[in-house]
Amino acid sequence: MKTFLLVFASCTGLFAQGLDPAALLKNPTDTWPTYNGDYTGRRYSELKQINKDNVKSLTLAWAFQAHARTLKATPLLVNGILYFSIPDNVWAVDALTGRQIWHYSHPVPGDHIASRGVAMYKDRLYFGTPDAHLVCLDARTGKKIWDVTIADVTQGYYLSVAPLVVKDRLIIGTSGDSADVPHFLEAINPEDGSVIWRWNSLPKPGEPGSETWPNEEAMTHGGGPMWMPGTYDPELNLVYWGTGNPHPILAGGGREGDNLYTCSIVAINPDNGKLVWYFQPSPHDTHDWDAVETPVLFDATYHGKRRKVLAQASRNGYFFVLDRATGENLVTTKFVKLDWAKGIDSKGRPIPDPAKEPRQDGSLVAANMDGATNWMAPSYSPQTGLFYVNAFESYSIWYLGLTAYGKAEGHQGGTAHDFWSSAKLVALDVETGKPKWTRPLGDGGTYSGVLTTAGQLLFTADTSGNLLALDPATGDTLWHTYAGGAMNSSPMTYILGGRQYVLTAVDSVLYAWSLPR
Amino acid sequence: MTWTQSVFFTLALALPASAWAQVHYPKSVTYMGKDPLSRDDAKRGRAEFLKSCSFCHGPNADGGAHGPNLIRSALVRHDKDGDLIGAVIRDGRPDKGMPSFSLDPHQVSDLVVFLKASVSASDSAGEGGPARDYPLKLLLTGNAQEGRKYFEGAGGCSKCHSPSGDLAGIAGKYSPIDLQARFLYPEGIQSTATVTLASGETRSGTLVHMDTFAISIRDAGGWRHSWPLDKVKVKVDDPLAEHKKLLEQYTNDDVHNLFAYLETLK
Repeated sequence: MKTFLLVFASCTGLFAQGLDPAALLKNPTDTWPTYNGDYTGRRYSELKQINKDNVKSLTLAWAFQAHARTLKATPLLVNGILYFSIPDNVWAVDALTGRQIWHYSHPVPGDHIASRGVAMYKDRLYFGTPDAHLVCLDARTGKKIWDVTIADVTQGYYLSVAPLVVKDRLIIGTSGDSADVPHFLEAINPEDGSVIWRWNSLPKPGEPGSETWPNEEAMTHGGGPMWMPGTYDPELNLVYWGTGNPHPILAGGGREGDNLYTCSIVAINPDNGKLVWYFQPSPHDTHDWDAVETPVLFDATYHGKRRKVLAQASRNGYFFVLDRATGENLVTTKFVKLDWAKGIDSKGRPIPDPAKEPRQDGSLVAANMDGATNWMAPSYSPQTGLFYVNAFESYSIWYLGLTAYGKAEGHQGGTAHDFWSSAKLVALDVETGKPKWTRPLGDGGTYSGVLTTAGQLLFTADTSGNLLALDPATGDTLWHTYAGGAMNSSPMTYILGGRQYVLTAVDSVLYAWSLPR
Repeated sequence: MTWTQSVFFTLALALPASAWAQVHYPKSVTYMGKDPLSRDDAKRGRAEFLKSCSFCHGPNADGGAHGPNLIRSALVRHDKDGDLIGAVIRDGRPDKGMPSFSLDPHQVSDLVVFLKASVSASDSAGEGGPARDYPLKLLLTGNAQEGRKYFEGAGGCSKCHSPSGDLAGIAGKYSPIDLQARFLYPEGIQSTATVTLASGETRSGTLVHMDTFAISIRDAGGWRHSWPLDKVKVKVDDPLAEHKKLLEQYTNDDVHNLFAYLETLK
């Protein structure tokens, strides 16, 4: 009997298509098991079959037409199958041929801005929906196994975050900023969707952080949504997540104070959901500049000492490096031209200039509502020691919106009119926080993320939709092509059957690039 | 809240409910974009709300001295065709001090439409930039004399523009909010480009597209021409270059003074 069981187990192992959790701890090569490829958020692959010397001959291996709205997710790649989502839809696609395996479609109400992707745990997939549900699918068939409500869609909640698998749980945060509601991060049991713990972006009365709000009414409606997946350090056992802006978004008058834990980077113990430390990139934000951009994890030397650090190029235009064990600030620098802050305080936080807050007669500010960067992924390459971010330089005039009775007008409390903007790729020295080089990407904006590889390559796109392979040491162009639309997503790469592929999503078409056979 | 608004609000709260109908209300959510409250039934609902509900819930349903913010109310957001709101109006909430109201079904229906439209207005407020009818009085905080000095001096505006020439009557041509946006950065004005080919021949036209790799122009005859950038030399004339530079230099006082000056050019 024992022999039979062993044989049976090895057979099922041989044909299993589920995700081996060990893959989450490795650099992504033959597997891309989570939104950022691995827990570090670096979006750096050790693959180098496609490299600086041969990238000129890169060619199209296949294209997959989703016939849907813009693809903003990063596909997972597990055992030769790609899994990705667009709001209301999930696909499984053969990573070798680009042929569809199954398509899950279930239209629901709610905000359809984006779905960043799916998560995989064993043989199941998980994704958030526009109506703030978390859905579990059988990865073999795309058939629904369960569906749980995470938050109330009528209050403007939805889920854009790709869940993050940590140990035996899924971590997911709520999105949405059309209503003044409190947001939260939850650990969910992948077996049945039950809640293991919840961490609230807004403190309760009397809790630490509550002193940064003027009253309970403002604090309980203060926002702080989670729009993007976080990262995880298994050794320190800390999950890192960025939180979004406070509410009302542009009208800060009724919420005097720093407004914790909005626009913050938080370190959470995944076992119990307790806050271990926090750092707030934008105290008392009044410009919609979420601090949700990927907290990227790597090690580097500061003042002669090797440190485990976390770096974020934040939407407010500042680059922060923190000790990820303690939250101690090591570097704060600007990565674009800015004029909204008066300086840096003793904790390394920018000090907002009240003169640059939205005004009823208009306030001209260097940076628009999209901020200096946005949800597109940055990348850190251990090969160059540089941190890469696609950034915007822009100008907007910001208006404060108050009712005739002095209250914030709607959830936003104002608006902005955008003027000229331009985009550039900035390569930051992580030890000084200063740009090593910048490469203009054109007028306007691009939501293209960045991927770096050991092949001495950096993949991204410009504002004209040109897909680019650049030299990560200099920013020089090594390969480019125009795929007929905009890349509003972040590229990924994998090796399958001995062949390396680079995937770029352009509008709703997924292109797989490879070397000629 | 201004002093005038504050006094008005205090007075209004002190008025008996029956007096509300005579009070003149300013328009509410209009400056920041579309107005879902413009439907007839929403307007009737607003009138009923002002008469029966606003003394507790505030004139915009966003909360008052005695009643909660109904825009944030889960009950209002979950209501379907009055199934929840109707019962609260009919029965009141005696435990929370809310009396019942004897309204006919049409009045209840209008109130429901008004509340739902108020939620919608609040949730979409600010989308798409400021409304075209954004009030001049909110924008007009600068000093026109100082604005004129800036126009003729530090701003360098008079090098290209003239109040009696291209800017004559400019304040009458654009709404105040559009005028403020347009003087800061007049969008839609295209650059021109001169392309020198390998042969030495030159072509000029409106710049249609340029990226790292290619340039496209439209010639005087309306035809489009494109070249790879590594095969030609290009000179671009951007008429907005000075406006871009000024965006980096303006203080908010410069912006408001210049706007006040341009508003005098009627």
